[in-house]
Amino acid sequence: MSTRATIKLQFEQVAREQQRRLEPLSDDLKLLDSGLDSLSFALIVARLEDALGFDPFDTDEPVQFPVTFGDFVRLYENQTK
Amino acid sequence: MRPTTPAEWEFRPGPQTEEPLYFRAADRQLFGWLHRGAAVSANHAKGRASAMGVVICKPFGYEATCAHRSLGAFAQAAAAAGFPTLRFDYAGTGDSGKIDATADQLALWTEDVLAAVRELQRRGGVAQVCLLGFRFGALLAMLAARQCPEITALIAVAPVLSGRRYLRELRVIQMAASKSVVVAPRVGTLEEGQTVSALEVSGFCVSASSTAALSQLDLTMLSAPPVGRVLVIDRSDLPGARAWADALGKLGVQTEYVALPGIVEMMWTAPHFAKIPHAMISAVRGWLERLAPRIAVLSAAHAAARDAEPAAAASAASAPVMPEAPVLRLSGEQGAAAEGVIERPVFISTEPMVFGIVSEPAREVARARTGSVAAILLNDGATSHIGANGLYVSLARKWAQSGCTVLRMDLAGLGDSGVRRGRPGNEVFPPAALEDLRAAIDHLRRHHGAQQVTVVGLCAGAYHALRAALEPLPINRLMMINPQVFYWKEGMSINDLQLADIVRKRALSSYWQRLLAGQVNVWKVAKIYLRRPMLSLQAALRDAARRLHIRLPRDLGQQLEDMAARGVRIVFAFSREDTGIELLRLSAGSAVKRCGAHIHIIDGADHIFSQSGPRQELERVLSVELFAAPSEPQPATRAPAAAASSH
Repeated sequence: MSTRATIKLQFEQVAREQQRRLEPLSDDLKLLDSGLDSLSFALIVARLEDALGFDPFDTDEPVQFPVTFGDFVRLYENQTK
Repeated sequence: MRPTTPAEWEFRPGPQTEEPLYFRAADRQLFGWLHRGAAVSANHAKGRASAMGVVICKPFGYEATCAHRSLGAFAQAAAAAGFPTLRFDYAGTGDSGKIDATADQLALWTEDVLAAVRELQRRGGVAQVCLLGFRFGALLAMLAARQCPEITALIAVAPVLSGRRYLRELRVIQMAASKSVVVAPRVGTLEEGQTVSALEVSGFCVSASSTAALSQLDLTMLSAPPVGRVLVIDRSDLPGARAWADALGKLGVQTEYVALPGIVEMMWTAPHFAKIPHAMISAVRGWLERLAPRIAVLSAAHAAARDAEPAAAASAASAPVMPEAPVLRLSGEQGAAAEGVIERPVFISTEPMVFGIVSEPAREVARARTGSVAAILLNDGATSHIGANGLYVSLARKWAQSGCTVLRMDLAGLGDSGVRRGRPGNEVFPPAALEDLRAAIDHLRRHHGAQQVTVVGLCAGAYHALRAALEPLPINRLMMINPQVFYWKEGMSINDLQLADIVRKRALSSYWQRLLAGQVNVWKVAKIYLRRPMLSLQAALRDAARRLHIRLPRDLGQQLEDMAARGVRIVFAFSREDTGIELLRLSAGSAVKRCGAHIHIIDGADHIFSQSGPRQELERVLSVELFAAPSEPQPATRAPAAAASSH
């Protein structure tokens, strides 16, 4: 499964678990408007570490929290390159 | 390990089996609950002490808020198995006393766990203690177990094993909650001279010294704790403790491991969606029951040794001590009048048990200054009486210091209160909420001489406050923070509260954009677009009807005007982007101005004021409103001169 598909799956699963209405996941969707809250993102990041084997927030470089869903996916895709 | 068959565990506290108490950890005063349960009480009645007790080590912050009633259910299950159980708030959290904001919480809270162990030994008469720790609490439990030989067993639920990883998790939550992009400092690889910063996560603070200590802590690198038996309950959605459990086993600790569902539903959701993890509770109960015969053997040996040493006889497993009247004394803030605050747990009613904590000025003179002003703080959603991120504790202590008597309470079914017969627990809109509130007002009038009563609530608490004033209960001020619903009938879903689609313009434009891109259901957009003008039209018609003195059902504007005519001071406080502002405008129209409501709008705040800046501003405006002169009754036909004040 591609990184993007894995991420999308986690967004959808966490939204279901948290009983939240997830907005359609387009690249320009702002994460703040996605329907998920901060706790959901922490859960997604933890599960993605389990699924993908790394956490992009655990680097020696300062890292910015992504603004859009596209930024979020790119953050992970850049690590896999 | 195979868990016992899951049973339906609920948290149904009662004054016969649960006892609120305060105890000391060095110079700190901690609040807790001693759960005796029927089995423990029966033992005590026969003059027998239990051999082992359980101390619950809570998770941190928002997780503890969500898990509140689940932790109570764990405590009751352990007590029902014959283990007196103490659950308590670490210093600076919940209902416990304050701590220095720069203190190393890791060190202090480990000491707090040890103090709780001693307190349980003293009150419950137990010789040995099992720690039951959840997430961060499991980490504290492991640290405490290394320092206390009386801790002979340990249960770790979804334990935090790596402080560094836990901090990373907290930082993600912090960053994702921030409106602006935040640069995340990496934890654990700081250059010499660099400092670790403090964190504010979902309204809960982790001091800089705590983050520094946590970043160095890795339980997998520590030697095994000197306990005989360990149960590790891992989360099945994201198991991470199997290797640690195996390692403990290899180090000679009798360790059982099980991965079970329920952790997300228990503590990683909104408090009103939180569910009690029945499978986990069954596993804990079953493990404790299997442990009991072994403890009894150990206890007999302990008793024999104790009998041989009469001097030691009074120390450990002696008869339980009589409880002292629980009182928390807090000193005054620096620079303020230096008058302290006294807090007491109170039972407002016993069937069902309705619980609260009263904060009062330590000196009568302070109360006299305010003319017996009293305030009641009502649950926001399903959060306990401490309020979202402890907001109510902060308000109660601040107001008590200024001379007010403040009751922060749990409606039946919420927080530490019992459940009304035939009703479910964790019910945000209980139909009998007004009965509890009526009893609370009566309590304040009878026992605290309250003359002026203010009712304050956030979100669902605002709804209950409004209903109480409309009843009408004897209320002088009504302070509603971010109300999101003004009418509710049984059978409605909490999800019905998500009115953003209808009242939030930004959501509409977002739908419109995605409609053009073919990404959204056309009918859904149409429904939203139709419903909004319908609401606006309704608001205009209601306004017109009010001007013609025609009374319509469920007319919020008319109800606000009626309340104002009775002299009730009406205050609204909104986060700038909260949907409640628009909902109020649509529901009450121009009556909001005519009733003289004071409206405060606070920038940069989320729904529950989880960031300290906006939260302080909220506390400031509410404090000004609380001590403002009482409203005079306004004639219902009064001209709209008293315009709403907006900040």
